[in-house]
Amino acid sequence: MRTGSYVMGIDVGSSVTKGVLLSDGNIVSTFMLPTGTELSITAEECIEGLLKDRGLTKKDVLYTVSTGYGRTQVKEADKTVTEITCHSRGAKALASGARLIIDIGGQDSKVIRLDEDGMVADFVMNDKCAAGTGRFLEVMAERLGVSLFDFGRMWKTAKRPANISSTCTVFAESEVISLLSAGIALDTIIRGLCDAVAERLLGMIHRVGLVPRVVMTGGVSKNEGVRLSLEKKLALKVTVPEMSQFAGAYGAAIIANESAVQR
Amino acid sequence: MAKTVDTRQSPRKVAGETRRIKIIRTLARKKWVHNVAGLVIKRMEKRGATEYRIAAIRAFADDLRSAYRKEKPCIYTSAFVPNELVYGLGGVPFLPEAASGFAAAFGFARESLSASESLWYPPDLCSFHRAGVGASVIGLAPQPDAVVVSSQLCDGGKRSLYQVSKAFDCPFYILDVPYTESPESLDRLARQIEEVAEGLEREVPGLSGDHMDEAIANSNSARSHYLDLCDLRRYIPSPWRGREALNYVVMFLWSWGSPWLTRFYKALKEHSESIIQQGEYPVKNERFRLAWSNLRPYYTTRLFDYLEDELGASIAFEEFSYMYWEPLDANDPYLSLAKKIMSNPGWGPIERRLEVIGKLVDEFSIDGVVQFAQWGCRQYNGAVSILSDYLRRKGIPFLSLAGDGVDERNSGEAQSLTRLGAFLELIESRDIRSSR
Repeated sequence: MRTGSYVMGIDVGSSVTKGVLLSDGNIVSTFMLPTGTELSITAEECIEGLLKDRGLTKKDVLYTVSTGYGRTQVKEADKTVTEITCHSRGAKALASGARLIIDIGGQDSKVIRLDEDGMVADFVMNDKCAAGTGRFLEVMAERLGVSLFDFGRMWKTAKRPANISSTCTVFAESEVISLLSAGIALDTIIRGLCDAVAERLLGMIHRVGLVPRVVMTGGVSKNEGVRLSLEKKLALKVTVPEMSQFAGAYGAAIIANESAVQR
Repeated sequence: MAKTVDTRQSPRKVAGETRRIKIIRTLARKKWVHNVAGLVIKRMEKRGATEYRIAAIRAFADDLRSAYRKEKPCIYTSAFVPNELVYGLGGVPFLPEAASGFAAAFGFARESLSASESLWYPPDLCSFHRAGVGASVIGLAPQPDAVVVSSQLCDGGKRSLYQVSKAFDCPFYILDVPYTESPESLDRLARQIEEVAEGLEREVPGLSGDHMDEAIANSNSARSHYLDLCDLRRYIPSPWRGREALNYVVMFLWSWGSPWLTRFYKALKEHSESIIQQGEYPVKNERFRLAWSNLRPYYTTRLFDYLEDELGASIAFEEFSYMYWEPLDANDPYLSLAKKIMSNPGWGPIERRLEVIGKLVDEFSIDGVVQFAQWGCRQYNGAVSILSDYLRRKGIPFLSLAGDGVDERNSGEAQSLTRLGAFLELIESRDIRSSR
């Protein structure tokens, strides 16, 4: 029997699994690890990591909500909620007044518009290909031999962006090779790649309607280059909360907290 | 001048002619196979299979037997050609677009799509047309004796079927449907239908207009039962599964004029009445009522298992199932078929379509509208922003669900499930708020 006062949110994403543990509504532990191929085992490891940090066991957890692509693989989950709802709840809690959430994960990107009350009013997701996702940037970084963490620094040193016309990962890779062989500077190409991702997102943003405050979450939010490109194209500030990667798991934990109270 | 241009198709080998396709196309033309199929249907009947399902199977079994065995002339038609015309001339219609759905459901779509790619069809065109052309050229579909297409809605339909008529060197007719309705445009269309009927009688042996009265009577009788069925579908909870309704959209496109359609809708109406009387609804604990626009993915039922069984969402009605025409007049069949064609709310100004969707939302107590955004479908996807804004003003949530009805390579199931789940969460959060 579970008797504790803790609740958990587990976000099994395509690249990374994240967990957030709450006590009395406050974050007391976070944990993340690569998702790998065995989703249920990864989720188990994430839960263990969260609890071990505080010297707790599963019995101490009153309620668990899972989200993300692997949400149905979390055996401990009392409830599953989609990442659209969880990201909106998490982002709203991490950045008060958030009205538009841009979440770019490993294999997809989402744009969620919240209404005045902070509820989901509309959302769109990218179509089936990897265009404009974290995977696209990973492949390009690998090809260029540059760390994703250096994108922001190099974006700032570039005088202009290179023109990358395709966000199809395969076609863009061949474009990048052509640019390199034409002697285009690395920072120019990187700024061009960030612009290509931002361009891809612009259509989605305007589909649901641009409303400030714009908040970025998901793994790619840590890529400063993409944020800078977005800010330039939107002509407004894009907020990246400190725990932006945990927005989905945090939102799941908030829902777990509410569900535990209702139980 | 244009008539002097040689447009014949050179014989060529195409992809998709696998061993199993060769076996199926041979079997489909054997008399004993159709006899066995007839016995199987009789056995199903004896064992108490649901009557409306039997009527649907019989309708297609009869048509396919006649077409494959060449017992009656097989006329390929595009969606929205009134098939009363074909039944009325004593032929059997074959809709390659609708047959693509069958091919996907039975796992033959990949070969049909490969064949179309051999004919230079790029994968970003509508897969219902691509698979239809492919199934024809590899012999999975029966051989056409003539092709009749309508210029209405699907642009790809008339172009792909023109190519089929060239591949089989058979007559091709096009109904050039006027965009706006007026007495003159109706007369013009009625004359075209009459000319097509005369052309078919002249060029296809075995066709004559002797059956027109019967086909019109069949169509009107089916229509009457269908309207009763639509009334029953307003009932809450829904007496019928949306996934099945989306399967039988094929009959709505194909079978008007066939005697089986009357039996099908009558049996389905009675089935729905008994569901309501007994209170045994197919979607347990209905929590949401959705309207569905456009078709569905036919190669999987997973989306519907998730919607109906896991989330308690009924598809209460489909835009494609909307009855839009008045009873036909046997004394003036061509004019009344012209009126039927012109009444299609998907044709003409977008306001006509929006008005119907708004009406469905109100009459069927709809909580949200899902439009299946078929890959490569120009006319539906092109109107998404207008439809979305219209529904937003009406306070009805709208989801454009990207996917492909036939080509599963163009769909991401996990993404579709997430979108549908999130859409229902959005509806639920609005309901909770409004009840506070």
